[in-house]
Amino acid sequence: MNRERESSALVQIRDLTKDYYRDRIRVPVLAPTDLDIADGEFVAIMGPSGSGKSTLLNLIAGLDRPTSGTVMVAGTDLCQLSESALTRWRSEHLGFVFQLYNLMPVLTAFENVELPLLLTGLSRRQRREHVETALGIVGLANRMDHYPRQLSGGQEQRVAIARALVNDPLLLIADEPTGNLDAAAAVEILDLLEQLNEDFTKTIVMVTHDPRAARKANRLLHLDKGTFAEGEVDLLELDGPASRDRSLELEGP
Amino acid sequence: MKFLPYVFKNVLRNKVRSTFTVLSIAVSLFLVTLLYGYLEFQDELAAASVQYNRLVVTHRQGITSLIPVSHVDKVRAIEGVKAAAGMSWFGGKYKEERMTFAQFATDPNAIFNVYDEYLVPPDQLSKWQHDRTGCVVGKRLARNKGWKIGDKIVLKGDVYAVDLELTVDGIYDGAETADLDMLWFQWAYLDEALKAKRSAIAGMIGIVSVKASSAEVLPELARRIDVRLVGSDAPARAMTEQAFQQMFTEMIGNVQAFIRNTALAVVFSLVCVAGNAMAMSLRERTREVAVLKAIGFQRPMILGLVLGEAIAIALIGGLLGSFGAKALFATIDMSQIPVPGLNMFYIPWITAVHSLLLAGAIGLMSGIFPAWRAAHLSVVDGLRRVV
Repeated sequence: MNRERESSALVQIRDLTKDYYRDRIRVPVLAPTDLDIADGEFVAIMGPSGSGKSTLLNLIAGLDRPTSGTVMVAGTDLCQLSESALTRWRSEHLGFVFQLYNLMPVLTAFENVELPLLLTGLSRRQRREHVETALGIVGLANRMDHYPRQLSGGQEQRVAIARALVNDPLLLIADEPTGNLDAAAAVEILDLLEQLNEDFTKTIVMVTHDPRAARKANRLLHLDKGTFAEGEVDLLELDGPASRDRSLELEGP
Repeated sequence: MKFLPYVFKNVLRNKVRSTFTVLSIAVSLFLVTLLYGYLEFQDELAAASVQYNRLVVTHRQGITSLIPVSHVDKVRAIEGVKAAAGMSWFGGKYKEERMTFAQFATDPNAIFNVYDEYLVPPDQLSKWQHDRTGCVVGKRLARNKGWKIGDKIVLKGDVYAVDLELTVDGIYDGAETADLDMLWFQWAYLDEALKAKRSAIAGMIGIVSVKASSAEVLPELARRIDVRLVGSDAPARAMTEQAFQQMFTEMIGNVQAFIRNTALAVVFSLVCVAGNAMAMSLRERTREVAVLKAIGFQRPMILGLVLGEAIAIALIGGLLGSFGAKALFATIDMSQIPVPGLNMFYIPWITAVHSLLLAGAIGLMSGIFPAWRAAHLSVVDGLRRVV
């Protein structure tokens, strides 16, 4: 898939497979897969539950190890990195946005966003500048001292995006970022991700069940039973009845 | 250092659980500090006595056997002796008090030469030396009993079957660590009363307290005393004051073992209690640990954060327990506690510091297993976990 982009691809996946074992029974989750993602692309991955979307995302993010094949990101073969080196690589090059936000409830918005910077050699003043910038981008400069419990779901997700952005990563990994939000908040988050991609040329790989979210992407991939569907994807075809309802809900009256 | 605020915020995350964990550590370490404090207090007292260059002469069979008062003159005559005074524990009852205080029959002309760290005004000492029924009392004892010069005191004999009426002739003082809770009266007065009752123990004393001319002569002087008194009807032996005091500690040897074993059991229980609290706390935030690892926190950092939290909780409890005990016994007037041997009791600094270090170790031990599990948590599994 997309072999012509190989030379300029930020993410290059070759012959990637992943098997899980349940009670010693091999369960293949990803069939041999190739994928290139160019620098600055916004890629959405859709598919039914159990199709291997999150597994693929975890492999691209270096959170999991493949059974075979390679994952190269910005020229680094993630499969060759030790656990420690991979962890360091994630802190330097990746930003994560999760479905459940996953903010630290004991930390303020500022402290949550500052967390990845504590792993760097930045001074306190430099960290403050970075955090203020990131929170400014997501429009929460006036909520820095708020704890997650004092924020709405949409605001929490924006703080999570600020945390993902603060170390200026090569790649943003978003795992169903609107999955836990109401329609209005979901639109805000999708607009924000689109803005990050267009204005800041951030490469984004997003797993979603939400057709509205998928439409924001430059490229939509459909994964089913561990393999990519061929050709262009028709969003309406992808939508099951439940997705259609959700889509209508997102579009509003 | 930049992770400390995060560690402390996690400590305060579940205030009820942290409070109960801290309290359980504080109360347990308070008791451990108290128990160990008593043992170390005895050791400090014994060690402090070294500076006074004193020997104690007792009957070879121990302090429960008496020796003749003539031994005092025999000891005084030995080269290297600066002063010597016979002493007998009287142990009389004062008024209706159930617990006695330290009362010694002794020689008024020698006792302040042997215990020269105690200070008594010369006119008061002179008055006592010429007053057969007089006594000198410690400043703290006088204050606690409300005694002043000229007061009459009646001690009802318990060990000795005689009652004594005494007049307070003097009040002695001394350093803050000195025992200011003793009463000294003339041995001659006691002996006179015993003779009047035809007591078999008239003319006998409990110990001879000896002041040596210097520290260097102590070993040789002890040997000379042993040689001089070994062949008498009441063979006696000399030992340093430190050894004499340690003898009392050794008499409660089984108690020492009991204290140490109890402390070990307490420490083990604390490790289990604190470890369980820590494990529960981490189980509730498995997903957070996974997020930390996802965004780049290395295993040693996770290990450090969790251990830091466990140690912080234990140290807070340890501070409250150990230094709380230290502060409490520094403010309580122990001379009011009617337990012999505890009138000067305090928690030595070294005990409080050791207890605090023990608290840190408890934190480390209680945190090591949950920390190891957190550090080795699979990010993918952790993110999937719904707690």
